[in-house]
Amino acid sequence: MASSRKVIELFYDVVSPYSWLGFEVMCRYRNVWNIDLKLRPAFLGGIMQGSGNKPPGLVPNKFLYMTTDLHRLAQYFQVPISPPADPFEAMFEKGSLSAMRFVAAVQEREVGGDKQVEQVSRELWMRIWSQDKDITQPASLSEAAMKAGLSASEVEELLKLSTSKEIKDKLKRSTQEALDHRCGSGHQYQYIHFFHYLTLSLYSLPQAFGFPLAVCHVNGKAEVFFGSDRFELIAHCIGEKWMGPQPAAAKL
Amino acid sequence: MCNIVIIVEKILQMASSRKVIELFYDVVSPYSWLGFEVMCRYRNVWNIDLKLRPAFLGGIMQGSGNKPPGLVPNKFLYMTTDLHRLAQYFQVPISPPADPFEAMFEKGSLSAMRFVAAVQEREVGGDKQVEQVSRELWMRIWSQDKDITQPASLSEAAMKAGLSACEVEELLKLSTSKEIKDKLKRSTQEALDHRAFGFPLAVCHVNGKAEVFFGSDRFELIAHCIGQHILEELLASLANELATSVAGCALTNHQSHTPN
Repeated sequence: MASSRKVIELFYDVVSPYSWLGFEVMCRYRNVWNIDLKLRPAFLGGIMQGSGNKPPGLVPNKFLYMTTDLHRLAQYFQVPISPPADPFEAMFEKGSLSAMRFVAAVQEREVGGDKQVEQVSRELWMRIWSQDKDITQPASLSEAAMKAGLSASEVEELLKLSTSKEIKDKLKRSTQEALDHRCGSGHQYQYIHFFHYLTLSLYSLPQAFGFPLAVCHVNGKAEVFFGSDRFELIAHCIGEKWMGPQPAAAKL
Repeated sequence: MCNIVIIVEKILQMASSRKVIELFYDVVSPYSWLGFEVMCRYRNVWNIDLKLRPAFLGGIMQGSGNKPPGLVPNKFLYMTTDLHRLAQYFQVPISPPADPFEAMFEKGSLSAMRFVAAVQEREVGGDKQVEQVSRELWMRIWSQDKDITQPASLSEAAMKAGLSACEVEELLKLSTSKEIKDKLKRSTQEALDHRAFGFPLAVCHVNGKAEVFFGSDRFELIAHCIGQHILEELLASLANELATSVAGCALTNHQSHTPN
């Protein structure tokens, strides 16, 4: 029983800087905690649309706060986040649809693990959230993928695959799964009768409203955690210990 | 002779100088309760001077153009689970009211926070009463599903917090005065001036700078920030003292070796 790994699905989109924090921390802990980390590239734009939420950066005080917050978190977690000169253009005008379709294509083709998915995702984050580089053009995706160790011919194939119906549907599915995710505990159901404007059945109620979203499967239940500030609680839920931003250093 | 004693004294002085942390909150906010309890627990553990800043969340929403998170259905659903888990983990007895929308949005917390502001205005020598009254109000709305809008409700909370009936009567009267209305407006505006868009808001004063933290999920970072700053201050102060002492030593040596 002690050796059975807890599956943690991490839904993310490279357009989201907080997702980068959650991603790096979970990657650091995947060989420290007894977990089976499953990367789930998805599309944040679809989450906003499906949940009726709006990106936090649209509230001026939130945007100002977030720049300070990200700077401090970047230092503390040692993730080289450096906002682009025009974050609104990068996040809202240009967006991340082709980038996430590309990551979905990488995942579809990768055999035996997700090292490539991890590396390509990281390189894309480096571009948009550290080096203020484009992530929408094929040449950009190509550069990121090759930095991640893929060959030119692999990249060419993936670029083609990423615009296929197969991959478009794959990305839609992971996004929809995040939206559909039921919280493990039934506590939210007590308030259903106040949603008189909702006529959907309980089991199809959407859940996600942003990324990152970590879904921890514990004892057949799905515990859903939003954001990159619930690590201690996640550790507690899965019976592990939170050791700070750099667990490898803490273990020495 | 380099004065080691002065250096050591300076280090001890720096280590004992408390960092002021202002905590802006409103009892209508369950996440504020979490932040409040944790900061109260740490006020005698960390080297901090915790200053409670009762304010009005409704005014923050209005002033920042933000909307309460509970208005997005998915967020509301998530928050109920999130609060349940956090309540258990932090051991704060949060139990949402049967109708959270009515409690938070229809009834609200204006008279409650004016009452807390009045308690703070009248309290002398510390904030024990402010702390206790705030806690009792949270217990009512966010644990026992009780009203916090009526004078009788505020009275019950205040008396549970240890205030006398006649103190309570005076405070109820004071809480509707212009003086207290303005006091609450001021603290709310101060939070907005710190770019608040919600509560709780912790403003940590370090090295003459205000580090602002929103929410009840930045404790580790707050600890790091105030710890880091203390270390920087210590090192800067030590370097300064050493430089002064070395210069002093050099001058003394020069003087003593200068032939007459």
